[in-house]
This record gives sequence, C-alpha cells and structure tokens, in this order.
Amino acid sequence: MMSWRICRRFAEGARVRRHEGARVLLLCVVLGASGVAQSLDPSALLKPTPDSWPTYHGDYTGQRHTRLTQITPANVHQLTLAWAFQTNQPQQIKATPILANGVIYITTPDNLWAIDARSARQIWRYTYPQNDGFHIGHRGVAVYKDFVYMTTPDAHLIALDARDGKVRWNVEIADSRRGFWSTNAPLIVGNHLLVGVSGDFDNLPGTLKSFDADTGTLQWTFYSTPPLGTPGSQSGGATGGQMWMTGTYDPELNLVFVGTGNPTPVLNGAARAGDNPWTCSIVALNPDTGKLVWGFQASPHDTHDWDAAEVPVLVDAPMNGTARKLLLQASRNGYYFVLDRTTGKSLVTTAFATVNWSKSVDKDGRPMPDAAKEPARDGRLVAPNEAGATNYRSPSFDPATGLLVVSAHDAYGIYFFKPEHGAYGWAGANYSVWGKGVLRAIEYQTGKIRWSHDIGEGAGGAGVLTTATGLAFSGDSAGNALALRTSDGATLWHAGIGRVGNSPITYALDGRQYVILGGGSALYAFALPEKP
Amino acid sequence: MMFLGSFLHAQGRGQASPASVPPPRSTTTLAYPADQIAAGQRLFTAQCGFCHGRDAMGGESGPDLTRSTLVAEDVRGDKLGPLLRAGRVDKGMPAFTLSAADLGAIVAFVHDQKTKAESLTGGRRTVDVADLQTGDPEGGRRYFAGACVKCHSATGDLAGVGRRLQGLALLQRMLYPAPGREGSKATVTVTLASGEVVTGKLAYRDEFTIALTDANGWYRAWPAQKAKFVVNDPLQAHVDQLGKYTDGDMHDVLAYLQTLR
Repeated sequence: MMSWRICRRFAEGARVRRHEGARVLLLCVVLGASGVAQSLDPSALLKPTPDSWPTYHGDYTGQRHTRLTQITPANVHQLTLAWAFQTNQPQQIKATPILANGVIYITTPDNLWAIDARSARQIWRYTYPQNDGFHIGHRGVAVYKDFVYMTTPDAHLIALDARDGKVRWNVEIADSRRGFWSTNAPLIVGNHLLVGVSGDFDNLPGTLKSFDADTGTLQWTFYSTPPLGTPGSQSGGATGGQMWMTGTYDPELNLVFVGTGNPTPVLNGAARAGDNPWTCSIVALNPDTGKLVWGFQASPHDTHDWDAAEVPVLVDAPMNGTARKLLLQASRNGYYFVLDRTTGKSLVTTAFATVNWSKSVDKDGRPMPDAAKEPARDGRLVAPNEAGATNYRSPSFDPATGLLVVSAHDAYGIYFFKPEHGAYGWAGANYSVWGKGVLRAIEYQTGKIRWSHDIGEGAGGAGVLTTATGLAFSGDSAGNALALRTSDGATLWHAGIGRVGNSPITYALDGRQYVILGGGSALYAFALPEKP
Repeated sequence: MMFLGSFLHAQGRGQASPASVPPPRSTTTLAYPADQIAAGQRLFTAQCGFCHGRDAMGGESGPDLTRSTLVAEDVRGDKLGPLLRAGRVDKGMPAFTLSAADLGAIVAFVHDQKTKAESLTGGRRTVDVADLQTGDPEGGRRYFAGACVKCHSATGDLAGVGRRLQGLALLQRMLYPAPGREGSKATVTVTLASGEVVTGKLAYRDEFTIALTDANGWYRAWPAQKAKFVVNDPLQAHVDQLGKYTDGDMHDVLAYLQTLR
C-alpha cells in the first residue's frame, strides 16, 4: 500500500508534471487507506487554508488574525446565529475549536466531540475514563494526518482516529501521581508533537516533551528547570516553569517559541535564590532536538505566580524603520515585551496594565522585582493580582493597524509568606482584592496603549480574534460576545451568549464565513444571514 | 485565577483575641465511612483541587475550606449541596451536576479534612491575626482622617468593627468590601425619556443594559445606550485607594481599625 508520504511527494511533483501527478493522485485516492483527501498534511500548517483552523492559534504565528473578509465593520451588526452546540457539561468551554476537513474538534476535560462545522451535528464523541487529575480546563486538540490528539487531566496523551474517535495509542506525558496534569493543546511541527504539562502544587521540573506524531514514541524532553545535579541545572534550586500553553513556530529559523510558567515553590522566593531561569521566560527551542537556542526571562525570580506562558506572537514587521523578525508578548506580570526572535534580545519592555512590583528594567529588558513587594508575613498589596495582567486568553495581532489586542486585567492582590508556609508547592497565601477586565490595544513598536475598552469586574475569560476587515472579536465579563472596531475599540456588535471562556476562531465553508465563540458550556457559530 | 470573596469575609467569626484565632469549629461533627471519604477525595481532587487545594486547605485561587464558616455550619451537605449545585458563577465557581452519592462523598471528604485541619499546626497556608500586627494605629488614624472619613466614621458605621472582624477578614474588608451575598452597594438614577426619574439599587450593569431594583423590590432594566443614568458606587473610593496605599499605610489603617472595638 502506498504510504501517505509517498503520495504527498508525488502530489507535490504533480504541480510540475500535471499529467503524471493527476494519475498518481488518483492512485492515492484509490489506494489511500490513510485518506489523502481527508487527512491533514502537516505542511498545511505552514499555510492554513481559509476553510480550516488546524492548530491552536490558527497558524504558527500566534497572531490569531484572519484574512477572511466577508464579515466587515459595515455588516457585522447583521451577524446571526448559524448554529449552537451544547456540550451539556458543567464546565465552561475554554478550548479553541480545531477545524480540519469540515470537522470541528472541541474539548472539555476528559471530553472530545467531533462535530460538523456546517451544522454542529455530532459525528462522534470520546470520553476519557474517570481520573483524579485536575479538571480545571482544557485548551483543545491537535490534528495531523488522520490523527486527533488530546491531553488528559492525568497527564496522558491520547491519539485518536479522526474518523471515528477510536483510541490508537495512549502514552503518559508525566506522572500524575507526582502532581502533573495537562490541559495543553499540543503543537505539531513536522512529525513532532510538542506537549506540555502543568503542576504548581508540587516541586516538579518544568517539562515539555516531543512525541513522534505517528507512533507516540518520545523524541525529546526539554526541562525549563533541569533537576538539581543534572546537566544544565541552573535554576538556583527552583522547580516549576511548566509550559502549559501552546507555543508558536518560525519555519525559517526552525525555532519553536514557548512561554514557561512560574517557579515553585510559588510564593517562597527565599527557598530559591537568584533569577531562577528558565521560569517565567520565553524559550526558543530547536523542534528537532529540544535544545535551547535562547531564553528571555520576563520575570526574574517571580514570587507571584506570574507565568510567562502567554502566547509568544510572531510578527515580521519594521521596528524603527528596519524590517525585523519580532516576537511580542503581553505577559501575566503586566509587561509587554518585544524581542528579536532570531536572537532573543529585548527591543521593548513597557507596562500595559497596572503594575507596582518593579521599579526598574535592567539592561536586558527585564523588569526587576522590587524586594519590598515580595510576599511577606504581614502581607503586601501588589498589582497585578495572582490571576495576572493577562493570562491564557489569546491576544491577536492586526497587521493593518499594528495593534496587539490583549484581554488585560488591572487588579490588586495581597500576598503572604512566612517560613511556616514551608518550601513545597504553593508555600504562601494570596488573595485577590479587586480587578477589572479591559481589552487593550497595544501599538506594537512602542507599547503605547491606543485604546482601552472596559469589559467588567474580574478578569475576562475570552481571547481575541482580529480580522483583515478591521474587526476584533472577544467577550466581556457579563456574558456578551463582542465585535469591536480594531482601530478605536468601538463596539459594533454583541450577543449575550454567556461568558466567553475561549479564544474565538473563524473559517469559511461554502462561501460563508463563520465566527465561533464558546459561551458557557456551548459553542456558538455566527455568520451573516443566508439569502432565503 | 478567581476566588470566592464572600466566603472569606466570614472567616473571622467567633474569635477571642487577635493573637489566637481558631478557625470556626464544626457545629456538628459527624464521622464518615473511610470508603466514602476516599471516593470524595478522588472527586474533590479532580473537580475542586485546583482552586481549593488537593487538601481543601486553599489552592491557586479558592479559599481554605477547612476555615470556612459555611463548611463549619454544614451538616451532611445541607449548606454545601445547594452551593455546589448552584455554583457561584460570578466568582468563577461553576455549578456542579452531582449525584447524591458523589455529593455525599465530597461533603464527607471536606468535613474529614476539616477535622484533620483542626489538629494541624504549621506548614499551612494560613494568615494569622498575629501576623498582621505590624502597623501603627496612630499613623492609621491620621491616614483614616484624610482618606476615609468622607464615607466612614469611627464612631458611626465602623464603631466596633475591630470586634466584628479580625485579621485577614478585616484586612480584606478594609481593602475592598466586595459585594457578596448581600449584593451591590451601588445605586443608580435613571432618567426616562418621559422625564420620569427612577432610583434604586444597581441590579445589573454591562455595556448594553442598566438595571436596578426599585423601591418596591422590582427589577427594571433599560438599554444602556438609550437611557440616561448616573451610577453611584461607594466602592469606587476603595478601588481608587488601592493605587495610593503604601504597604505601611495599609498596615497602619488595619492597626487603627483594630482599635475600634
């Protein structure tokens, strides 16, 4: 039987030798047990088609920006419900729906549904057996060829047949009995399936693994905090730095960019002297080897649970007149960073939300923690709070306006630590005092705030999707889906669908553009009205 | 990332002196079968552990349930059951669909943890009243006289506050007395197109809707874009203060409030 790879190679040749290629393609369809026409070519991730949303961020850049132009500022007020899909789960949908071959894959912890992207009709459903891992959220699946991959609360990676949801293989990512769990939407690069885990309540090394996407065989492991005594150990005794969000990828540099989480013990900084690399960092890795190429620390010696796991957005754009390969991150600690992603060198560091924990930025562009704001026995009033100035909510970059639109959070919390809290896991206490959610548009070259749009008390739950027509879709804290004008933040459309807990996506099928948002435990598709 | 603010306010009840603060004791201590506790532990870890900690003594964002008044007053789920099934969605706690057996198991585990916690010392993620005694009451009095007296009075609304609340509960309440089960403290005055003026307690507000509870207890709502309205939220003064306090100020004001017994 002809393998998928051979089919693909012939099909690529077909562009040159049309006649032979057509014949070979036909052969593939006839022979193709793996189904060329239906499976997702991993190289398609380099240039996703408009009828798909094949990976967590939509593409490798993390811009969460669409070139689709049917829905515009002029007609967005006509948006109407195309379909809704009710998961009937108590939990809010936090996952990004993944769309390939007309099928949407949507998850909550332990649950995966395959639904028709035109009608929301369920094609199949997979339920993972009951387990003890944290069921706090799930970010979504990855697709590759005819596989769908899902991580589980007990830190397993399941490969399913995309056609019927049957399990093909199941591997352990990390030992859940030690305190690992996973909510991660894996990132596919070639045949590498990059999977991260979480684990803040135990002192565990920050772990990112790459599995062979076909077989589930482990290819490499990257430790952001290599255990003491192992080669490369440099974290100053810190554990943690979990890579629980999906990274981005630059195929020209062949670098994967991943944000790392906070160090553990979480609030006890005294137990881990120094900067604790590579916690609260952006790391650039070679996806073929898992080797670190560079790292940039957004929060040296964090003591406030401010992961730098937020999406590292890749933008090729001028910086002070020179074309650059940039990496933008609005980080949980309240700072906006621009890096040269070839070298990891800092270009801009500036606050985008209320912060009071740093008084200076060092020569490498790192905000330096003010020791007076570290957790203390009698409490410290700190901005932002533990939920952070932003979080897992995806930002979106609009190339036309040069704006990074971020779901920000101006907030205060009180942080406590005393030696009695120990040096294991959380090792301290913190309480939120107050916070409000704000959609904020950051000018990418300077970090200047172009506009702010209040979305209510508490941190928002929705990420952002921008469109080439100048729209920014998101949600407020009251339960409204929103469409704002990207240039000035004015509201152009809303729909009360319940709190949006995921980051919106869009696609076009049969000439109709859909925008998908999760409202509560249901998924909603909006589109312009069809002619009767 | 979210927390259950209103639970926390009740933490300080039944406390004797600022230096020794026992958590609220269970009103009714019941023994639960070991297998029920074990089943509850599995469910609790999976569904509740991230926010409340695997041991129910506080997690990433939720409070220590072993110090919760609600848990202390609960008898076989009579308080916890309705709460779990309804959730506190506005505070980030989902509503749970639980069978009677699963609910009973979770309740058993939480109560068992509370019983264990009552004999635990050290290593816990606690904030004791004694930890918070670093402020200067005189400095706090001066700060209070400048920043707080527009709305508060040491001999009026805050008389005896140091008796009613202590420690962390008092500090949290001082920083931001979040609207809890009693609802918003804000009022709103809406002027209708007809010229009629309606004033009431702010019931709901987002970008698109303004709603109040009127003097007769009725909920009334209007499109925010079309209604003329003015919201008066006394808590905004607390929000504004958050950016002004130094940590020293914060501890001083707390020390002063503790003197209002």
